[in-house]
Amino acid sequence: MSRARTALIVAQREFTTLLRTPTILVLALGFVVVVAGFVVAAGTGGYLPLILDLVAPMEILVPLLAFAFGYRAIQSDADRGELETIQTYPVSRLSFVGGVFLGRLAGLLPVVLVSLGLSAAAVVFAPGDAVSVVVRHGTVDAPVLFLRFVALTVLFTAVALAVAVAVSAAARSAREALAIAVVLVIALVLGFDATIVAALSGGLIGPDALGTLTALSPNSAYRGLVYTLAVGDVYTRSAPTPSLVAGVAGLTLWFVGALGVAVARVWRG
Amino acid sequence: MTDESADTTTDGTAETGTADAETTETADEPATGGTGAADPALVVEDLTVAFGDLVAVDEVSFAVEPGTVTCLVGPNGSGKTTLIRAIADLVGADHGSVERPESATRPVGYLPQAPAFRPQFTVAETLQFYADLTGEDVDVDATVERVGLGGVPDRRAHALSGGMTRLLGIAQATVGDPPLVLLDEPSSGLDPMMTRHVSDVITDLAADAAVLVTSHDLTAVQRIADQVLVLDRGRIVAADSPAALMASTDTDDLESAMSELVASESGQVATRGGEVDE
Repeated sequence: MSRARTALIVAQREFTTLLRTPTILVLALGFVVVVAGFVVAAGTGGYLPLILDLVAPMEILVPLLAFAFGYRAIQSDADRGELETIQTYPVSRLSFVGGVFLGRLAGLLPVVLVSLGLSAAAVVFAPGDAVSVVVRHGTVDAPVLFLRFVALTVLFTAVALAVAVAVSAAARSAREALAIAVVLVIALVLGFDATIVAALSGGLIGPDALGTLTALSPNSAYRGLVYTLAVGDVYTRSAPTPSLVAGVAGLTLWFVGALGVAVARVWRG
Repeated sequence: MTDESADTTTDGTAETGTADAETTETADEPATGGTGAADPALVVEDLTVAFGDLVAVDEVSFAVEPGTVTCLVGPNGSGKTTLIRAIADLVGADHGSVERPESATRPVGYLPQAPAFRPQFTVAETLQFYADLTGEDVDVDATVERVGLGGVPDRRAHALSGGMTRLLGIAQATVGDPPLVLLDEPSSGLDPMMTRHVSDVITDLAADAAVLVTSHDLTAVQRIADQVLVLDRGRIVAADSPAALMASTDTDDLESAMSELVASESGQVATRGGEVDE
């Protein structure tokens, strides 16, 4: 049987597990409600304001949701001893980890996309806001910008979930998985940026290095790519952001590195 | 830690001696169960597994023939689970070799000591998942029926009793028709009726495969085993049929025979390192 077929079988099991886990469904609903709350609170004046209003919450909420969906995916199998049982079947580590990731992503992405879709719908259909879905402010506030934001958020979601799956494969217990997940979420949301700011204020790095260093954190890379590709000149002239190449490279390294860790640690080769 | 470069193989063929019903075999030569008419389904030679300084399995050699039930008995901490996990290739060997069948899609079926399954899935769904992993056309309904879970195929794993969960684990161990089935304490903690049922299931499994079982239930072992391997502090101290073991120790039951064969004293627990803790 091909690796792809095996991965799909594992993915189907993961997806069904998510659908049948009430806690996950509650978290998914909570995510949609919180995102909607941000949209309502910030107003629905256009796509560009919407992107600017959502990018910071997404930096926090997406990793939180991704870790909730993935931090125990493999660890729970290991905890039950089922991971050892699976090893007696013709399943490679790559197929298994790939399947776990794809199955969890299949459950996670719709939640993110629905919340962003509802946000966009609020811009289009909000009473009192005569927003054109074609163009509102010349070349700046167009739906295509929001679509870019959605695409980048999908990419960021995949990276965050890959890190969560890596935690799930590396942790030896549920408690350890939770501890690592909490530390990593804090590091992603605050730690990396705070470290860079501290290094900058301490003179360890110069302003010229910011473009590259901010790409090392997935959150900063995501933020930078959103500002570069979905917001454009309105913002990027006033803030240091990683270059397009550095941002994409940063996210790719985190994605590949995290899944590589998961494959290496899921069971001995 | 373990040395993953140890000589553990999955080669299919092996040559070993045949069982001698009159003589209790020792660890000095590979023990075999059954009649010796077929090539062994499993050959273990000089297998050693250590965790740092603790030697859990110490130069163990034996063979298991197709169509037989071999029971691995011994005190807690004697290395039974480590040995069975090494045979399943779940833990690396430091020395020695394990020759398993290579022709099957799934060479080894395995029941862990405390089987558990995703609570969100039913009995049938759980087995279907494992069946799908083999890539073969598996009759899940027949597998469920075989272990006696035909009345609860749609019951979710979290709603199964301990005995039912073990039966599901045994059913899982047979998915893909592995020629070698390893069962780690399949009747631990079960009531007498369920224990009897599990024993019957194991005997039934041996019609199609070689079965290696670890157990503390010596009454059941005496009933189902073609070969008994007595493990003490990581070493096989005796290997033969239940009747031959009782005869060689001049005892009337397997429990008494094991007491004669095992050096551990009552009230003490043998550790992996071979020492005895109070």
